[in-house]
Amino acid sequence: MPYGYTGKILHVNLTTSEITVEEPAEEFYRTYMGGSAMGMHYVLKETPAGADALGPENVLALCTGVVTGTPISGQSRLTSVAKSPLTGCIGDAQGGGYFPAEMKFSGFDAVIIKGKSPKPVYLWMHRGEAELKDAAHLWGLTTGDTEDKLKVELEDKRIEVLQIGPAGENLVRFAALISMSNRANGRTGMGAVMGSKNLKAVVVRGKQKPTIADPETFKKLQKWGTANLEATGMDGFGKYGTPGVTAPQNKSGGLPTFNFNSGTFDKAEEIDGVKLYNEHLRGHEKDDQNRFGRDTCFSCSIKCKRVTEIAEGPFKTDAKYGGPEYETTSTFGSYCGISDMDAIICANALCNMHGMDTISCGATIAWAMECWAEGKLTAEDTGGIELTYGNAEAMVKMTELIAKREGFGKILAEGSRKAAEIIGRGTEDYLITSKGQEAPAHMPQVKRSLSIIYATNPFGADHESSEHDPGYKAYPERMKYIGLTNPQEKLALNKEMMRFAMVTQHLSSAVDSLSVCAFIFGASFQLYGADKLVEVVNAVTGWDTDITEILAVGERRLNMMRAFNSREGIGREADTLSKKMFKRPLEGGRSDGYVLDEKEWEAALEDYYRLCDWNVETGHPSLKKLESLGLGWVVAENEALSKVVS
Amino acid sequence: MRIHVELMGPLVDFLPKSQRGQTTLTLSGEATIADLLKELKINIKVVVAVNDDEEKELEHVLVDGDEVLVFTLISGG
Repeated sequence: MPYGYTGKILHVNLTTSEITVEEPAEEFYRTYMGGSAMGMHYVLKETPAGADALGPENVLALCTGVVTGTPISGQSRLTSVAKSPLTGCIGDAQGGGYFPAEMKFSGFDAVIIKGKSPKPVYLWMHRGEAELKDAAHLWGLTTGDTEDKLKVELEDKRIEVLQIGPAGENLVRFAALISMSNRANGRTGMGAVMGSKNLKAVVVRGKQKPTIADPETFKKLQKWGTANLEATGMDGFGKYGTPGVTAPQNKSGGLPTFNFNSGTFDKAEEIDGVKLYNEHLRGHEKDDQNRFGRDTCFSCSIKCKRVTEIAEGPFKTDAKYGGPEYETTSTFGSYCGISDMDAIICANALCNMHGMDTISCGATIAWAMECWAEGKLTAEDTGGIELTYGNAEAMVKMTELIAKREGFGKILAEGSRKAAEIIGRGTEDYLITSKGQEAPAHMPQVKRSLSIIYATNPFGADHESSEHDPGYKAYPERMKYIGLTNPQEKLALNKEMMRFAMVTQHLSSAVDSLSVCAFIFGASFQLYGADKLVEVVNAVTGWDTDITEILAVGERRLNMMRAFNSREGIGREADTLSKKMFKRPLEGGRSDGYVLDEKEWEAALEDYYRLCDWNVETGHPSLKKLESLGLGWVVAENEALSKVVS
Repeated sequence: MRIHVELMGPLVDFLPKSQRGQTTLTLSGEATIADLLKELKINIKVVVAVNDDEEKELEHVLVDGDEVLVFTLISGG
């Protein structure tokens, strides 16, 4: 029995109902370490070039990492990888909770899903076995109702369920995978991929706890985490959750407001994490939020998850659907000019109930609101719903219509880029997408290295794929550990900041491959830094890895994703930001007047390509780079790729 | 000298709840950001901006009337 991982990968062909188990050698685990890199291995091997993202050929990989399920903070994460129906590029979404650990306990490190079932089914993985079961009675149900029914049906309240809601069934292009009815593998439409396969849910249960190679060192690392919660500020982070960052973001001029036209929202205090904690978390009436209003992931002491409940009124919300993250309070809040926290909580719950990404959903509505403000959309288009900035009722209504693909929601369910193509009339000028994915709530105009990551990230604009600019100066010791010793001034977009972007991107990519939490293991502010990540991996697996090898895993995964896109004919032309970020200076606050300079930005992009060893003209990874990462097979096995990579 | 301080995000807990993260401190003699943080009993890693300007180092010397913002970094959400 290997340490940390089970050594078993489940393969499910939904077309034929065939289920097999693969037992890869240790070298395989050492090469990929799990999560996204492991998933990419299967997607590149088994999804043919040009496959329809919503067709049976698209392979969906659900992968844990080699430390998932061990009792330490930040390890219970699951990665989903497949071609994205939102972007047409590779898709990737990370999610936490209890499902990832329980999947490991069920006896499998990952499940690789291909084909399409002729009828709705769910996959039941338990105690080293797996079977497909009928899900006709679950189709159409919300996530909460599905989970309730499955617990009764399988006579076990401790099962964990990763599922699609009605939005996934309706192939909303930014549909999410949801577990615990409130945790999302949110981005890039993985829920629509699962829906296209007629797979309603993956249900797991087991008792196979991972064996730890060096229990004594592991115990010391556990204790270090507990002892340093306060010193690292992570106890405060846990108390106020990610929304606690809203006020600082606003003060620094980096809170996306009115669809990214400003970095300052005059009602930011209304959507801040402190207000959410004091006035909205469950239990706030008796000042008992820590008991009733916070939740966590398996074995994590941070407890950063929010639990909210609205007993009555137009925004009535059930606590089982959790509470909003910072991204959600921003996309449904400041992006849309909305400061009504109850409406944001309700929209968040609707997304969890129906299974949608709150970032793309809120940002798509914000895009429509700007189109409305500019006279590009009217009540005739929207079925009478007035999509004015600040209209909380309209925002909530539109969220529901998108999930159900009804009315104007049918168009917005395509995501903002495709919606702009359908509507025309110059509405594309207001997009905030990269590769068709809506930008999360960190502003490229303010965090300049992030602008290159938004543009070049293989699965579209993403905020968890590199460290953000201020981290370089603020955490010199942790930066030094990954070879970054030359912090630059604010707004710098030079070669050193491109090196910062790339190196921290490799670390984030490794974090997503080890499938651990970006708030616990990472480059700067996190509880455990990258040094402790190495120690945890070694203590669990018995390996002798180091930061160089960990960063190489991240670089490997990133290049596999770029190679996937290259195979689809997607290269430099797709590495873009929205037009407005170059043409429209931000208005108000500390970032007033900020705008990206196109010439400076293109030069930085080319610096970044050179550092990555990607072709400056095409954006494709070089053959030399792929071979140096042990990825020569990717070119050898893919004719379409061999034609564009040299 | 009098320094106006605004603590943001989780740092609001370093002041009584009624102050909602805001206070004006009177410091004697020459005082740096490190002195200010000591006065506030903030012993964790923070970022400090003075008068809406660039983030400042711990050794930065404050002057009467400065407005200081103190926050923690979280790059995500």
